[in-house]
Amino acid sequence: MILMEHVPIILIALPIIFGALTIFFRSRSALQKALNIGVFSFLLLLSMVLLFHVWENGILVYEVGQWGKYGILLVADLLGAGMVVLSSLISLMAMIYATDYMDRKALDSTFFPLFNLMVAGLNGIFLTGDIFNMFVFFEVLVLSSCGLIVLTGRGDHTKMADKLEAIFKYLILNMVSIILMLVAIASLYATVGTLNMADIAVRIAFLADAQALPWHIHVIAMMFIVVFGYKAALFPLHFWLADVHPSAPAPIHAMLSGMVIKVGVYGILRVHYLMFSDALFMLQPILIFLSLITIAVGATSAIGQYDLKRLLAYSSVSQIGYVLLGVGMGTAYALTAAIVYLVNHAIAKSMLFLATGETLYHAGTKDMRKMGGFASSAPFLCTIFLIGSMSIAGLPPAGGFFAKFLLFDAGLSAQFYIPIAIALIFAIFTLFYLFRTWLTIFWGGVKSQKSGRSHTRNPTPAIKFALSMLACVVIFIGVYPEPLIVLSNTIAGQLLDPQPYITAVLERGVR
Amino acid sequence: MNHMILAITIAMLFGIGTFMILRKDMIRVAIGITILSHATNLLIVSSGAFLGDKVPIITDQNAGSSSGFIFTDDLSQGILAPIVSNGAQAIYVDPLVQALTLTAIVISLATTAFLLILCYRVYQEHGTTDLSEIRRLKG
Repeated sequence: MILMEHVPIILIALPIIFGALTIFFRSRSALQKALNIGVFSFLLLLSMVLLFHVWENGILVYEVGQWGKYGILLVADLLGAGMVVLSSLISLMAMIYATDYMDRKALDSTFFPLFNLMVAGLNGIFLTGDIFNMFVFFEVLVLSSCGLIVLTGRGDHTKMADKLEAIFKYLILNMVSIILMLVAIASLYATVGTLNMADIAVRIAFLADAQALPWHIHVIAMMFIVVFGYKAALFPLHFWLADVHPSAPAPIHAMLSGMVIKVGVYGILRVHYLMFSDALFMLQPILIFLSLITIAVGATSAIGQYDLKRLLAYSSVSQIGYVLLGVGMGTAYALTAAIVYLVNHAIAKSMLFLATGETLYHAGTKDMRKMGGFASSAPFLCTIFLIGSMSIAGLPPAGGFFAKFLLFDAGLSAQFYIPIAIALIFAIFTLFYLFRTWLTIFWGGVKSQKSGRSHTRNPTPAIKFALSMLACVVIFIGVYPEPLIVLSNTIAGQLLDPQPYITAVLERGVR
Repeated sequence: MNHMILAITIAMLFGIGTFMILRKDMIRVAIGITILSHATNLLIVSSGAFLGDKVPIITDQNAGSSSGFIFTDDLSQGILAPIVSNGAQAIYVDPLVQALTLTAIVISLATTAFLLILCYRVYQEHGTTDLSEIRRLKG
């Protein structure tokens, strides 16, 4: 049981240490692959153990250096631990997929260290209880994902010049958003004199009770909305996503669209629902309004695309709008729906992106108009793509149905009739563009002239394993969503009543 | 007076940085990012610089008398900052902001190095540093 306390720090430290160690095995490719898959499986196991532990025994707080609330604390509550399980699952599958997908040169040199650092950054963001520490892990995440986007894989038809342009955009915009985050953190620290999120929450609540809440707390809350909205590709800040994500190789694309944009949603859930709950009344209408525009812009942009990866990237923009709609509505039911939607979209979308990378390799082009009739030559990819599309579009046997159903039901029960009507219209758009894509690629006559060669390009066992595992999870969520809904409901309850979180963090003694 | 000069300096640095990242030359954008991060560092330091005038190092003979009010923050008395004494408010300079700035400087060093190498690689691939000519990807 004494080991259990150290699990949060192991989840962060192990990928960092291993990211450094794995460089020494670069000349021994098979060993490196086996070790990394072993470590990531261990991380998945550990994160699930952590989630069960938190579910059974309440919030787990780990002190890095026994300074109580004045030092850095790692806090594993249900939301954080759940997100870590999600990211571990997706990163393990992306890693297994990548061992066969990435170019040999990229795989042996930089892929594994950077991927480890990226996972460490994600786990750090989800587990930290300190707002400045969150900023540090944001930087770890950004720099490692920049390095991963340049790598090349076998179904990757993006030129190096385009990748560098995309990274330049990504890095500059990320730096600006992160500088904004730092300004917000500095202003917050100057106002309340602490960086611990639970402590900040107590002090802001104290100021609000004394009717002495300074007006610039609202400004700081909005700055955090900009920062996290940029991460999550909220409407006025969504333009970079369609350039950056399609430039990445498929496993990294799956991680970026599956997990990294969810970091923004996590940030809004954590920072605004914990710390700025007194300023939320002003932010919720803004969030609802912007997320509706995000849904509309993403869906309409996706319809006009012929580049498969770019279409799915715009689809991500649209789908993250649905998640933020649930976050913006802010009732317990809506938050439950938003978390279910987030989990389902993360798994189904990363599966769809992994399948897309393999489809593009099979096709030898990224233009959808040149594809057709792959159902006979690649029946496996056809099935996976269908399951993914059904889940994203919200058709019953897959997990997306419950996500959409809960979200719309939550909206109707909270009497947000007009936002739900708009969201429903664009859900039909989603159905249209995803199934048009599926029909174009997999049905119809064979169009490609080079098809003599492309028939031999079939998925390897590792790729098939990763895709079918994710497909199983998607179907499982669709057929038996009860555990996920109960978990999300508990998380939503904790978000709306953060007192257990605050108590667990602040009862620490000082050395 | 010092507050005002510092505030104006930070504001001007933010203005210059914002102006620079709106230029078309890639290197100027990189310089703009650097100026912005330095402005942020100054902002962080300024949030704790003028609260007290003593160095926040407690030596041996003072440690006994100081330990009583180090880490006292009492919400019921409206005391927010962690390091304040009972009678004389905030005699020590806040050490945490300097640690934060150090972290931010190290991070901005790493990102600036990465950014400059990226600029060089983009120049190699595209043959120009003019951002208006580098637009193969359409958002």
